[in-house]
Amino acid sequence: MATQIISKLIDHLFRHESGKIVSVLTRIFGAENLDLAEDVMQDSLIEAMNQWDYKGVPENPSAWLFKVAKNKALNILNRNKYKRQYSSDVIHYMRSEWTAEPAMNHLFSEKEILDDQLRMMFTCCHPSISKDSQVALALKTLCGFSIPEIARAFLTTEENIKKRLVRARQKIRELKIAFEVPSGVSLEDRLHAVLETIYLLFNEGYSASKGNDLVRYELCEEAIRLSEIIVSHEAVKDRSNVYAILALMYLNACRFTARTDDMGRILTMAEQNRSLWDLALMQKGFNYLEKSTAYKGLSTYHILAAISAHHCAAPNFESTDWKGILSLYDSLARIDSSPVVLLNRSIALSRVFGVSKALEQLEQLRDKPAMASYHLFYSTEAEFYIQINEFQKACTSLKKAINLSPLESEKELLKDKLNSCLEKMS
Amino acid sequence: MQEFLLLIRTEGDVWTSLSPQKLQEHIAKGTDYIGRLMKEGKLKSAAPLDKGSRIITESNGLIKDGPFNEAKEVIAGYFHITANDINEAVEIAKSNPIFTDIPTKIEVHLMKAIGG
Repeated sequence: MATQIISKLIDHLFRHESGKIVSVLTRIFGAENLDLAEDVMQDSLIEAMNQWDYKGVPENPSAWLFKVAKNKALNILNRNKYKRQYSSDVIHYMRSEWTAEPAMNHLFSEKEILDDQLRMMFTCCHPSISKDSQVALALKTLCGFSIPEIARAFLTTEENIKKRLVRARQKIRELKIAFEVPSGVSLEDRLHAVLETIYLLFNEGYSASKGNDLVRYELCEEAIRLSEIIVSHEAVKDRSNVYAILALMYLNACRFTARTDDMGRILTMAEQNRSLWDLALMQKGFNYLEKSTAYKGLSTYHILAAISAHHCAAPNFESTDWKGILSLYDSLARIDSSPVVLLNRSIALSRVFGVSKALEQLEQLRDKPAMASYHLFYSTEAEFYIQINEFQKACTSLKKAINLSPLESEKELLKDKLNSCLEKMS
Repeated sequence: MQEFLLLIRTEGDVWTSLSPQKLQEHIAKGTDYIGRLMKEGKLKSAAPLDKGSRIITESNGLIKDGPFNEAKEVIAGYFHITANDINEAVEIAKSNPIFTDIPTKIEVHLMKAIGG
């Protein structure tokens, strides 16, 4: 059988299996031995690849992989009995002939796997680890991404990702970060940090025209999958902000494929073909949005989800409820009045009160450090000028946007716009 | 919830009397039993005991140590479990599949807790 096909199968089909195995092994070895858990997982995959290449893929490849990982883990524990220290609360089971095997089976049961994945999320997203490293570590351990894949997703070098991972593992060891779901008052804060990282992961995938589309969509799927694990868990279920973030992600993910044209260029909301929106995902989004309002608490995720819901609910661009969207942006600005929020709000403002009001708002943002070098500030400004036929000013803004845009594909799109403005002036 | 120490007493080298197949079946039953206790959250720890035990005795102010007489009866292993009361602990001990394959006695001891 072609090695290539098998390696692809392992890459994709077992990505989540690998996340499960690394999580359970970390429970067994302790968070300080995360690297060992990853090594055992890697070895198991290699063994699977060799075996299957030679003998064919077994009927239940997941179970096969779990079994290999269990045996490897037990071997390591026996071999390294006196060399490594293991902090985990289940390690004593592994030391006894009577309990080692039943404990291994028990820890690889469905419920325990779910618990361990949640524990892994809280460990990866510990506030003392930098956000960049948190995301990289979550992708590596929980989502089974390889280092080259993470590097591709973040448009950075493998070397860079390796460094982030090393730093994250170091922090876990140095600070003795426990492999556990926090309880009591600290749960709220820690959950907040986990959601932040998940949203970052989602946005990394969703943000316009960055890298390869397929990899980017997978990031969105992973962010949703991790949130689904959280929402299904006894310890954290029925939390308003978890429902809200799920609503937000589904209501955006449902528009994923409609956001670009055949050439991979980003389409505005007005240009999108709404029949391409995924109604099944949209429905999930609406369901979660409803749930998010049934429990106490209001987060920025609620507001952002409600804004997305307005876009989803409009049969065409013209019938968008801009008044509703503007009032949501007003609420959002009361929680988070950052320039980026106000910039987005200006678009709703232009629809409700006209372009001149929106341009006034932009004037107040122009000197903010975050805006001065932000290409979207200038492309938004250009859009407003075009709408009121101020092509001269639109050209000035477009030129700035082209200079500042980090991406070739976006530069191309802006250049097209610039040319059409120049034509209209002549 | 109370804690109990279960001591498994068997006669000498009883394991060698089982055929390889019987032994394998026995291990599978034991694995199931222990797995069930674990799932119910009742097992703190359990382990078989190895050969070569020593016994320390005192006579006339002299503390001596010597081999534990393993010819007749041995402690094959122990279970440290939690249960609501001694009756439940007894039931847990009774359901140990070791009884079906090997002549066994299980002692059920309540572990005294602070203030208990």
